[in-house]
Amino acid sequence: MPDPRTSSSPPSRAAAESPQQLPLFQLRLQTRVGALHLDLELSLTSRWTVIFGPSGSGKSTILRAICGLLSQKPRSGIFSNFLAARGGSGAPLEWDRPHHRVAPHRRQLAYAPQGAVLFPHMSVRENISFPCAARRIPSPGLRAAQQTGSSEEIVDQAIQCFQLEALVQRKPGDLSGGERQRVNLARAFAVPHPRLILLDEPFTGIDRALRGALLPRMQERAVQLGAPVLSVTHDVEEALMLGAEVIRLEQGRILDQGAASLVLAEERARMLRILL
Amino acid sequence: MDFAALGLTLRLASLTTLLLLLLATPLAAWIASGRGAARRMTQAAVALPLVLPPTVLGFYLLVGLGPATALGRTLIALLGHPVAFTFSGLLIGSMIYSLPFAVQPLVVAFSSIDRPTVEVAQVLGADPWTVFRRVTLPLSRASFMTAAVLCFAHTVGEFGVVLMVGGDIPGVTRTLSIAIFDQVQELRYTDANLTAAALAGLSFLALLVVYGRGNRRAELA
Repeated sequence: MPDPRTSSSPPSRAAAESPQQLPLFQLRLQTRVGALHLDLELSLTSRWTVIFGPSGSGKSTILRAICGLLSQKPRSGIFSNFLAARGGSGAPLEWDRPHHRVAPHRRQLAYAPQGAVLFPHMSVRENISFPCAARRIPSPGLRAAQQTGSSEEIVDQAIQCFQLEALVQRKPGDLSGGERQRVNLARAFAVPHPRLILLDEPFTGIDRALRGALLPRMQERAVQLGAPVLSVTHDVEEALMLGAEVIRLEQGRILDQGAASLVLAEERARMLRILL
Repeated sequence: MDFAALGLTLRLASLTTLLLLLLATPLAAWIASGRGAARRMTQAAVALPLVLPPTVLGFYLLVGLGPATALGRTLIALLGHPVAFTFSGLLIGSMIYSLPFAVQPLVVAFSSIDRPTVEVAQVLGADPWTVFRRVTLPLSRASFMTAAVLCFAHTVGEFGVVLMVGGDIPGVTRTLSIAIFDQVQELRYTDANLTAAALAGLSFLALLVVYGRGNRRAELA
């Protein structure tokens, strides 16, 4: 159990604004990675939550911990690592137990890592199809297809959402940085029935105009998939544009949580001063 | 040209290559999957044939596969005859002698796959076998080719182990390299020249395939 003296839980701002709102996703995390000590409780009440903080504050580490990608061995610098998660109904999730005992592939997560990590030997379409292929989602006509959408359907929707129709046959090596990032995002949004969508710096390399066009589509697609989004950014403008709930993180601790306009009010004012 | 020896050599090299790839793939995957004393010791043991004189290996195999050891007695009980001086013995000797040529390229290939690539595959729902089949294997295809060609060529050219474990039985254990030795002993230099040229050509072709693929990978990178 986390030490109540050190555990960082979301401050009262979010709770005060929506006291009746059940969290869509809750997790408690304690871990040490090198010099960084993460000790926090996340409660996602919004469909889209942004973790905002400077480099090295532990944003990506939180996502990696949720994915089950942090090593458990003390010799690698991890001394303790505990993760518990509950869905909106309060019922324990399948992986509501010490997270090192749940393999990453069993967590039903959609994940777009930082730096657009694509499979270099696969085409764009094969990359985007990977989550369906890995889960063996059937082709049209089979029973499961009626419930989940066939793999082709899911993949086509993701391709359309990220405007990748012209690139589907290309290999990642032939793509620009922005195109690679769109494939990275499309692949995450092609995960069938995700429990949570994790996006690490999702708009790196994507120009502002395209970002503006993609954002509403991504929000709509996330609603269709029925999963909350937890994204990570250090970009104030991006956090404000999303209009999402923001968790401000610093040195592994949550400093504040609430609406972007409130949590990032200082940054917003600073940006306006620079512009004016 | 000793065509019986040529056929035997090709059969031995093909079987050795096939069986070694089957054995080396999980072994290399295990070695590449982490650190630790057990992995390092296994890697060193696998590499031993690279530094040991073939006669040392042949001697231990001769003793190990004979009635003096439990393994040898078990094999004799199973097969009904000693393994030494048979094609099976030759195959076992060849596999051990060429093991590093199969394992090392695969260890390098598996280790060089980016950790984040494997991680993202796992998070996106791929179980370990699917990750291996759909990510690790395709990204290591060139190294499998290299391992296969090196195993084949090394088996074709082996001499010391073959002579120690297999002897020199025409049609059973006499390979091309031993045939050359016999031809020289019998002063049949023309035949020896022809056999040696065949071996040299075969080996050059194998290395050409390896380096050809290496250069193609470099161009693609």
